[in-house]
Amino acid sequence: MIAGIQSIGPNEWQVPIGYVPGMRVPGIFFLSPSLSETLEEGAVRQLANVATMPGIVKYSLAMPDIHWGYGFPIGGVAAFTLEGGVISPGGVGFDINCGVRLLSTPLREKDLSNRRELIERLFREIPTGVGGKSGMRLSGRELTEILTDGAAWAVRQGYGLAVDTVFCEEEGCMAGADPATVSEKARARGVPQSGTLGSGNHFLEVQVVREVYDDQSAKVFGVSPGQVCIMIHCGSRGLGHQVCTDHLRVLEAATRRYGISLPDRQLACAPLDSPEGRAYFGAMAASANYAWANRQIITHATRKVIESLYGVPYSEMRLVYDVAHNVAKMEEHVVDGKRTRVCVHRKGATRAFGPASPGIPSPYSSTGQPVIIPGSMGTPSFLLRGTDIAMEKTFGSTCHGAGRVMSRTQAKRKITGKEIRESLGKAGILVRAPSDASIADEAPDVYKPSAEVVKVVHDVGLSRLVARLEPLAVIKG
Amino acid sequence: MTFWELEHTADVKVRVVAASLEELYSEAARALMSVIYGRPGDNGVAREIVVLAHDAESLVHTFLSELLYITDVEGLVISRADLSITENELRGTLFGEPFSPAKHSGGREVKGISYSGLSLRHEHGSYILDVIFDV
Repeated sequence: MIAGIQSIGPNEWQVPIGYVPGMRVPGIFFLSPSLSETLEEGAVRQLANVATMPGIVKYSLAMPDIHWGYGFPIGGVAAFTLEGGVISPGGVGFDINCGVRLLSTPLREKDLSNRRELIERLFREIPTGVGGKSGMRLSGRELTEILTDGAAWAVRQGYGLAVDTVFCEEEGCMAGADPATVSEKARARGVPQSGTLGSGNHFLEVQVVREVYDDQSAKVFGVSPGQVCIMIHCGSRGLGHQVCTDHLRVLEAATRRYGISLPDRQLACAPLDSPEGRAYFGAMAASANYAWANRQIITHATRKVIESLYGVPYSEMRLVYDVAHNVAKMEEHVVDGKRTRVCVHRKGATRAFGPASPGIPSPYSSTGQPVIIPGSMGTPSFLLRGTDIAMEKTFGSTCHGAGRVMSRTQAKRKITGKEIRESLGKAGILVRAPSDASIADEAPDVYKPSAEVVKVVHDVGLSRLVARLEPLAVIKG
Repeated sequence: MTFWELEHTADVKVRVVAASLEELYSEAARALMSVIYGRPGDNGVAREIVVLAHDAESLVHTFLSELLYITDVEGLVISRADLSITENELRGTLFGEPFSPAKHSGGREVKGISYSGLSLRHEHGSYILDVIFDV
């Protein structure tokens, strides 16, 4: 382990105050000994930098998929008091409400004939990759409605079932969205990209539930071994990226104006109760709503394809849940023994509210919320459930994915996109992407093993394993 | 080559080296396009650009962020930039070609230009820019 870091329990490490100057609280991260081998000192320094920000409470936290980002580390979680605390785009990321949803189907693996046609049809219906443009022609008024209403807008337009919104974090619509704080530039990027998947690590995957670890919770979530599910991983597209860029500039100036001293420019922030802080929150919430509408529209296209190919009634493809893993939210947590409203930043971390928590759908009240952890291309994804331990230790948060361990330059030297596609094909996983070059740096072994990351959060108790899903066919952006 | 990728685990870190500031900006634009599209564009279309900022680092950051917007909304794959640059202002012309899926699908979207790790310096007669593209 890196010098200066203390073990405080199995898989639990503390970064003491003083690791970098100005820390107000200690840092804590969760990592197994084997995952520690690839821990970057830069990521730990970023975790410590977050601890210097005004109004931070309890700890600066990082999940076992911690790696070096900008501002916050990826996997970073921090909560700030509403009075005196700050909000920072560096604690959310460029892809606001990047998230994952899991759709269940009544199909079994053996029913899935003609997978090539399935993946080609999905690829045709869902605009994917760099330059992918939506077939929708949104008006300015419609975009404003999306920014305000999120997934509910899409459902109203016929892109889903009324019940879908119930099974989204925040019911697919974050309160406090203020479309007026979303620039014309961001809107111009948002109009043609609604309902598009994007590129990079975003994907749509046809999966099979390969193993169930917790029968009771799996039953509540409506998944069983051998069942075909669809996982959709994407975010707020160029609109969210532009909102982050625009507000970073404003907040950078605000940081100086409010006399906040920071060790990293990318932690630019403003008090939550300042005009600049409120404006960023309003724009971030609007972008989050855009992302929920986006995933809803993609869900609709997916259901239509499966309905027409396999005769599955649209309404029998249930949304298990939709989680956001890049977002800041107002939540109530116990701080110094008192329930306190705080602004929780999750930057590459998933909410993992435990049983009976407010804000989770009532059918999941007994289990805790579903937590969806996407694998990287060709590796398993996991369904877990939120816990009381997460509520105590991490403001109800857990990991969000695998986390890269190999740079893109290294990856490209090792294996080509064509080789990746062919080797996955041999393993029974069809990959469809705009080009082989676009998958060249996404080989499965450039990420930490997702199973190992998930095992840490399971062992620590930040969430509990429910099921493992394995890919059958993947669309990569 | 006047730009190349440096090792970076999560994102894309690029170093650009040029004899003049003007050339540095033009090469930085080509580097950004190479990441997004797998290659920079070819000449064909011209478009004016003006960017203002409060210091040299902010200027290059704002310039590259503006290119993300232009390429996304206008579908322009930039081939070079012909600019005149002062400490906090640049103006000039971008050249490029319209996006074509058959030609430009070899890369990945860049979500933003990171301030972390951004450095612009003048050493031994060369301008050197290190910048991280968030992907």
